[in-house]
This record gives sequence, C-alpha cells and structure tokens, in this order.
Amino acid sequence: MRHEYPLNIGANTLLLLADKAIYWPQQKALLIADAHFGKAAAYRASGQPVPQGTTSHNLQRLNVLLSGYPTEQLIFLGDFLHAPKSHAPATLAALRHWRAQHTSMKCILVRGNHDKHAGDPPADLNIESVDEPYLIGDFALQHIPAPHATHHVLAGHIHPVFRLLGKGRQRLILPCFYHQADMTLLPSFGDFTGGFVMENEHDTFICVTDGQCVWPVTASA
Amino acid sequence: MTLQTVPKLPLSPDAAETPDRNDFQLSRNWFSAHQWQPFPFQQQVWQAVASGQSGMLHATTGAGKTYAVWMAAIERFALKKPTAASAKKSGIAIAEKPAKRKAVTQPLTVLWITPMRALAADTERALIAPVNELNLDWSIALRTGDTNSAERSRQSKRLPTALITTPESLTLLLTRPDAADTFASLQMVVVDEWHELIGNKRGVQLQLALARLRRWRPQLITWGLSATLGNLQHAMEVLIPTASKPVLVQGKLEKHLLIDTLLPPGIERFPWAGHLGLRMLPQVVEQIESSPNSLIFTNTRSQCEIWYQALLEARPDWAGLIALHHGSLDRNVREWVETGLKEGTLKAVVCTSSLDLGVDFLPVERVLQIGSPKGVARLMQRAGRSGHAPGRASRLTVVPTHSLELIESVAAQDAIAARNVEPRESPQKPLDVLVQHLVTIALGGGFIADDLLAEVRSCYAYRHLTDEEWHWALTFVRHGGESLTAYPDYRRAIPDEQGVWHVPDAHLARRHRMSIGTIVSDSSMVVKFWSKGASGKSLGSVEENFIARLKPGDHFLFGGRLLELVRVHEMTAFVRKATGKKAAVPRWNGGRLPLSTELANAMVARMDAAAHGHFDGPEMQMIKPLLQVQSDWSALPTNANLLAESLHSREGWHLFLYPYAGRSVHLGLASLLAWRAGKHLPNTFSIAVNDYGLELLSATPVDWATIFEQDVFSTENLLVDVIGSLNAGELAQRRFREIARISGLVFAGFPSAHKSARQVQASSSLFYDVFRKYDPNNLLLTQAQEEVLQQELEIARLSATLQHLQTKQIQLMHIKRPTPFAFPLLVERFRESSSSEKLADRIARMVADLEKAAGAGAYIPQDTANAQAKFNVQEKVYKNRERKRKTGLPSDTSNENTTNAKRRRSRIISPKPRHGF
Repeated sequence: MRHEYPLNIGANTLLLLADKAIYWPQQKALLIADAHFGKAAAYRASGQPVPQGTTSHNLQRLNVLLSGYPTEQLIFLGDFLHAPKSHAPATLAALRHWRAQHTSMKCILVRGNHDKHAGDPPADLNIESVDEPYLIGDFALQHIPAPHATHHVLAGHIHPVFRLLGKGRQRLILPCFYHQADMTLLPSFGDFTGGFVMENEHDTFICVTDGQCVWPVTASA
Repeated sequence: MTLQTVPKLPLSPDAAETPDRNDFQLSRNWFSAHQWQPFPFQQQVWQAVASGQSGMLHATTGAGKTYAVWMAAIERFALKKPTAASAKKSGIAIAEKPAKRKAVTQPLTVLWITPMRALAADTERALIAPVNELNLDWSIALRTGDTNSAERSRQSKRLPTALITTPESLTLLLTRPDAADTFASLQMVVVDEWHELIGNKRGVQLQLALARLRRWRPQLITWGLSATLGNLQHAMEVLIPTASKPVLVQGKLEKHLLIDTLLPPGIERFPWAGHLGLRMLPQVVEQIESSPNSLIFTNTRSQCEIWYQALLEARPDWAGLIALHHGSLDRNVREWVETGLKEGTLKAVVCTSSLDLGVDFLPVERVLQIGSPKGVARLMQRAGRSGHAPGRASRLTVVPTHSLELIESVAAQDAIAARNVEPRESPQKPLDVLVQHLVTIALGGGFIADDLLAEVRSCYAYRHLTDEEWHWALTFVRHGGESLTAYPDYRRAIPDEQGVWHVPDAHLARRHRMSIGTIVSDSSMVVKFWSKGASGKSLGSVEENFIARLKPGDHFLFGGRLLELVRVHEMTAFVRKATGKKAAVPRWNGGRLPLSTELANAMVARMDAAAHGHFDGPEMQMIKPLLQVQSDWSALPTNANLLAESLHSREGWHLFLYPYAGRSVHLGLASLLAWRAGKHLPNTFSIAVNDYGLELLSATPVDWATIFEQDVFSTENLLVDVIGSLNAGELAQRRFREIARISGLVFAGFPSAHKSARQVQASSSLFYDVFRKYDPNNLLLTQAQEEVLQQELEIARLSATLQHLQTKQIQLMHIKRPTPFAFPLLVERFRESSSSEKLADRIARMVADLEKAAGAGAYIPQDTANAQAKFNVQEKVYKNRERKRKTGLPSDTSNENTTNAKRRRSRIISPKPRHGF
C-alpha cells in the first residue's frame, strides 16, 4: 500500500499519485488530465439539478497535491472546462480564487476536445493554452492518446478504469493509470466524470487507485 | 370509415317511436343485429352509467367488456340517437354524401385509456363498429406515440368524440396551455386493462391525470376494466374516489380452466436455470402439429427467438406458417402476425407477454407456456387465450424448461384450484412522478400551489403526502432542491406575482414534453437492413448495450433471422442476412418476475408433501428421482426445517439456503445475511439468487454454524440492517436511474439528437454518486432507497419470510458436491455483491489473486460477445446430443455446464487440470 508509484520511462521517473495525477520531479511538474471543471454547472444551466460542490472539492484536492509536491508548472492534459456553459460565474469565481493562491506557478492547458468547444479559460486565470502535442523533455503531452513519432505520449481523454476480479466472483471497478511502451494514460481527475473499462493487454502496466493508495496490478513493463 | 358496411338494423317501429332510456333499445337492437344477447353484466353496466355512476368491471378478455362500457357511453351521451326511420334515412343519405357527417361530430366526450399502443388500433376497430352501424355523429381517433403529425395537428384543432390514448399521451395533452378548454366537454373516462397499470408508476401518472380531469369535470364518470386480481376492491378504490360510491360489476368469468404439464420423457437431475429447455422441442412440435392453431408463450424475448428458430429447424416445412411476436419487433411485423392470427393463416405463434393483452382476438386451440409463468394471475390470463368462445374450456399446457418447474406447474394448478390470485397494489407517493406532474401542470395553464396540493392528495397514491414532501417537490422544480438555491441558472417552474406557477423557458418546456412518461427502458437501437442511403427495411429494435458488445461481422439472431452486424450509425444497427451457425441471441433487459407468494406457498406445500413421501400426480412422480438425489446427498426442505448447505469449491466457500420465497425476497435476505455475517467478521460476498433459494459465496471460509446460532433471521432492526446492507448502493443506484429519468434529472434526448443510453446510464450513476456526496438528504435518493426496499427487495414480504423462517429449524448440511437444488444457483450469472470489508483490504486481496494468476502466465480478457456466442453454440450442441442420449442421466449436462461456468471464471484463476465437482 502506497500513495505514489514510481514509473520509470527512459531516464525519467514519473510518480503515479493516488489522487489521479502524475508528478514529474525532474521538471517539478504536476500533470492533471480531464478535470472537467464546471461540468455540474453546465448541467444545471441546461435544467438538470446537480448539487454544487464538485468544482470546489476538485480544487481542494488539487491544493492538497500542490502542497505535497513542490510544483513549478501545473499542466492540464485537456478538458479543463467541460462546456461553454461551464463559464458560469460561480465556477469561474472558484477558479480565480484558487489561482490567486498560486500566482507564481505556471499553468499550461493542452487543449482537448472539450476545450475546443468550451473555449479557452478566461485570460485573467493566467493559464496558457497550447495545442497538442506539447513537447517537454522526453514527453509529448497530449489530450488525445495518439502515438507520437519521437516522444513518449502522456495523455488523458479516455478516463481509463480497470475491472479487478477476485476469488469468489468478486469485482471492483477503479480508476487506473494505463502504461504501454509508447504511451501512458492518466485517469480523469474530475469527480463528476465516468470511465472507460480498459482491458489488460500484453506489455501493459496498469496501476489502479482508490484515491488513497495506488496498486500496481500487473508486472511492470 | 367505410359506409358500405352499414347494416339494415332490425329496429322495431314502436321501440323507435318511444325511445325509453332505460330499455337500452338502441344497444339491444345493435346486439341482436349481430345475433348477440346482452349478458346481465353488460346490462348492469348500462344501467349504472345511465344513472351517472362510476365503477369497475371485472371480466376476462373476450368476455364482452368493451361493449358493456362502450354501449353504455353511447346510450348516455349520444345526442342524436337515430330512430328506426331516421337511421335508415340517414344511412342512405350518408352513403350518398359521406363527407357531410364528418363535419358535425359531437365534441370530445369519452376518453378511452389503453395501456398498450398496440391495443389502440384493435380498440378503435371495436368502437367504430356500432358508431358506424348506428349512424351516430361520433368520431373516433387514436392518439398514441405512433400517431403521425398530420393527425396530431388535426386533433389540436378539434379532438374527436372518443379519443383512444395511453396514459403518457393523456399527460402530454395536459401540458397544452388550453388543456382546460380541451377537456371542457369530457363526460366519461374508460380505463382498459386497469390491472396492468395499477401496480406501477404509469398507473400513478394516470391517477394524477384523472384528478386533473375531475377538477375540470366533477361529474366525470370513470370506468375501469380489469382481469382477475386478488384485490379488486382496492383496484377500484385507487381508480375512483370512494366518495362517488362506485360499483363493482362482476363479468362473466367462470370459464373452466384446464392446466396441465407436458411431461418430458426423462428428467435432468441437475436442472440448470439458464438452460432453455429445448429438450422438449420434439414434444412441442407434436403438440403444434396436432392442433389447427397454437400460441406458445415464452418468458423472455431471447427465449422467444430461440424457440422460434428451433421450431423452424425442426420443421422447415413450417416456414411461413409459424411466426414470432415480441415487443422489440417492428410494428409492421407485429401487425402482420396479429392479422395472421386473427385470420387463421398462422399455425403457431411464439410470443412473449406482448400477446397477453388484446381485444378482438380469435381464440386459439392450444396454448403452451414455456417455463414457469411465475404467477397465478398471469397463467390464468394466458390460459384465457384458448377457448374464448362462451362455454368452451380454456386450456394451457406448461412446458417445463427444467425439472424443478414440474413442481411449479403442479403448484400453479393447486393455486388456481384454490383461487389464490396475486393482488396488485398502487405504489405509494412516488416523488419522481409528482415532480414530473408539477412541471406538466405548470405547462398546462399553470397552477396555484394550494389548489394543486388538494388535487394531488385526492389521488390514492398521494393521499398521505406530507406538507414537507409537497414543499420539497415545489422547491425541487423551482431550484432543483435545497442545495441548488445558489444557482439561479437552474429553474424549471416558478410562480408569478399572482402565485400561478409557470414554466418560463420554452426550451425546458419542449424538453419536458419529450420526457413525459414513467417507462424507463434501456434505449434501443433500430435494427435495419444495410443498403445505400440507409433505405433498408426496419426489423425492430434491440437494446443498445447488446449491440455495443458486438463487433461488425458478428452474427446474431433477431426477428427469427440470422443477421450479421455491418455497422452502427446514429442509434441504428445496420445488418445483412447471414449464413452459418454461430450467433448471439440478444439479451433484452426485462425485469425478471419473481415467483409470487401464492405460487411459492403452493410449491412449499408440494415439497413438504414430497418430504413426507407423498408424490401425487404425474409431475411429482416424474420429479421423484431428483428429489431422491437431493435427499440422499443433503435433505429436502420441509415445513419444519429450513435447508442450508455449505460447500467448498475452487471458487471459494459457498452457502446455499432454500427459503422458497421468490427471487426478490431472496435478494434482500441474502444481503441481510451477508451484512449480519459481516458484523461477525468483515467479509465480502458474491450473491446469487433464484426463486427457490440463495447463495452466498466468499473467498475466505465462514463459520455458518456459529452464525446461525445467533439470531440472524431476527426482524429486529430489519430496516436498519437492510439499508446498511445496500452497501455500495448498487441496487439503489440502478433504481435511481429510473427516478432520475422520470423526475427530469437526466434527459434521454430529443429524437433528432439522440443521446446514447449508455451516456444516460453513465450520467445517472454519476448523478447518484454526486448526490450522495454533496446532497445526501435529497428526497429522490430516499425514494430510490425506498423503492429498492419495497419493489426490489419486497421488504414487507421479506419481513413475513423472516418471521416464518424463525419458526423453522435450520438444517445445515455440509455437501461434497452441488446438490440438484444448489446447482442452478452455482451457475447463476447475475450476481450482486455485499461487502463489510475495507475497500483497501478487498483491493489488496484481489491484486494478490491477480498476481498469482499472472504468475501462471495467463490472463484471458473477457469477451462477452464471444462468450455469448459460445453459449449459443453450446445450446445447439446440447440440443443435438439430446436425441442420441439416454434420458435421465445428468452426467453430460452437468459436466458441460460446469465447464462452461468455469470457463467464464478462468479469467483470473490460473488454468489447472479441470476436475468436476
């Protein structure tokens, strides 16, 4: 049982964190995929009552991570805001309040499919939006998990989950990190998001998380 | 309408001259023109309606209940009843100028509510006959989900004199801003097949709609038509306010019912519940052969497809003479089959409950029921499909699909003989339906809160609605609940300065109209033949999640054809005809009906008799060998003993328990037992249930003998423990999906922009989690929990069962291999889980299991579609072998089934040499 799992890719070590993020010590970078901020607000705006609190809770989790791992740059791998209607006053206020606590930190958003639809975050949030792939060090940071010719890809989009099966016909579905030779997928960071069940293929390393601990479930590749 | 068919009515001149209302001369003449004699119950209804009374008519299908109420309506409300002379005259006049009469029909007078769209067309035919033949200036039209837009817009200008509609379409009419005017002339409502509606939320929706109509038309006459129920008086009270002193009219019922069993040549001693019993095929073929026409009822659509295919394979010469009928088939196909049945061109139809109802059905000679009917009322209704004509006996033959159904069949005969028929109760204040109704009424002219509260409380289902619940519902449509007050962007209905509630947003209004209804099905995909420009013929629809498991190129059986999936595009599955053998059979997610208490009790009585050495009747004689094995290896359940069996297998530690109380009670009981055992020592159980018993499977050993010594069947703290046992809330979460949809939390989408059902499903489980986390006091969550308790787990029945079990002695047997009773549970695929362990502990153990498996080098990914296909091939192999095999020997089947079951599990268990149990 541990709260982080070191994954070596080439000369780099990435820490897979239980709270569904990756920390990259060499770059002092924290990677977050599929935050989907303002998803609940977008639902509310279209007439579906969803309780409030998801965005602020997600930001709280982010703050815990930032206090535990010294971060110079925070990189969102796409789907930062959920929909155009996520630019709701309350959501943006919560984001601005959060940003004000971390003014010195660099924030980068690699645009994902939702961002293209929702539009870039407002300028005063001071988040630099870039198109994928965003090359940094040995990695290509993307939203869509498409292979890259030269770099190992870190991506989101899929919201990977893994189905654990146990004796006595037991099963559990948990968010997971999904690692193959040329690509590593992050679980979705947002609370209010679903998941896609991944199958364990050959040469794949999967690490599930229950939010408290990470559990490698296959031998490391 | 064709006017050539106007008959010469033999009206006697003096009757025409002195029309006396209470003589019902018009109806009598019309009846005698058809060589019919009005039954006393029909005249009773005419009399009651003539004096303005409401009521309920209890009669079986085909007994003449339609004309009992319809002629009563005509007698009371037709303004221009023809005299003999004028009838003749106008008949001629209209035959010459048919267009003239259409313009001057009476305004909306009668609403005819039918539970099924498919019935509406039949009803129209039945209602239109006397109207045409008596030359009334009445018009009749349908309004259902199938009604086209031209007809709709015609109706929006002026509704017909009699409108045939469904509860959903009626509610939709209530959303019109001019709804009050629309119904201003309404006099009478007839609710057909009320027994189909009373026990569900559609019935509640109708209760609310009727309360609305009564507000505008206080003198409204309401009549319900119902088949046999155990609690007819309650059914009437729910439909009609008792203040109006309704009458209960008994129709002609005492049709003689003959129930028997098609006995197999030998029996399986290891009945596999999933095994669909094609073994009886040769005998079924024989039965079909020997009668002019037959109906073969199956319990599921998959079973229907499989039997149809098997019959065709057995008798290729019957192609074109036999057909299949189920709710997922295209309407055209269904109508073709129904016509074929009526005209007698079809020799046999394999069907599901889709043919349980129906009006002018010609009776068939032979009715077969494949598998257990699960309830007495249902069996009686299906039996009634044969020998419709007065004086002829109705006969139904049960075809057992596994050995234990032999006992169910005798038990059903016992229950019918004792007239122990299931009751159906109205649901209690479902808040999701209320929330939907609030928005409906806000759209349909708006409402003042206090007025509407009184109206809602006049409905049986809401008679105990508290002020808090009402306030909550209002708040919910206004802000989405207490927790949403900070969000002004969410509001569905709001009061104006005068306190009248309206829906301010046109988009939300449109969305609400789209989502009306309480039937929540998995959204289905249209199945179409592949051709250029998507112009292929539509075959019907199939659940999206079935198609999702298939890849293009995979084969499946649908509508009696072998099809190959070509591609899926925008909620349409394109297919082409396929050849070959390997095919999946769609598994439609219908609710599986639990065995009713009435039937279960009758079964226990038979088991107890068997334990005392009484094997009366051919069925019990036949099943004797199986009971012998059960008794030798373990024991038989009796009135005094509750049988429990414990078994250790490669899978883990099993406990089997046989309370014979129906699957929903067993599910509740199993969760409860798991929960109470978990208090003893935290553990995780995988739960399987069937109608006879339950299984608890754990990865670690459990000392059941010690646990049973404690008071595990106590009813004390029952509610607390059951709620506690709804651990991860899997059950409540599933129920929440329906509630979320009805109350407008999730939206299935506009037809043009079809949101995939998987998306809806995903979002409803997300909603569930988010609500639990951020708004745990939301009453819709409470409702989900209550509905699980009432409907999924039948808490009242569970409590009664527990009390009953306390009087029994637990007989715990340690068995070496699964007994005939245990086997069906062992291979049951649908499982629930219940855990009292820490999540981290469970993960740790499962990851360890996984590593062991990985050590052996094999991890076989699950491929459900393949597994399904394998299963079907197996079914076929199994069937082929039947003919060669000696009867009565279980070895083949059990081995095969065991390996099949094991193969599914081999995903995580390292492949070791297989050994049988």
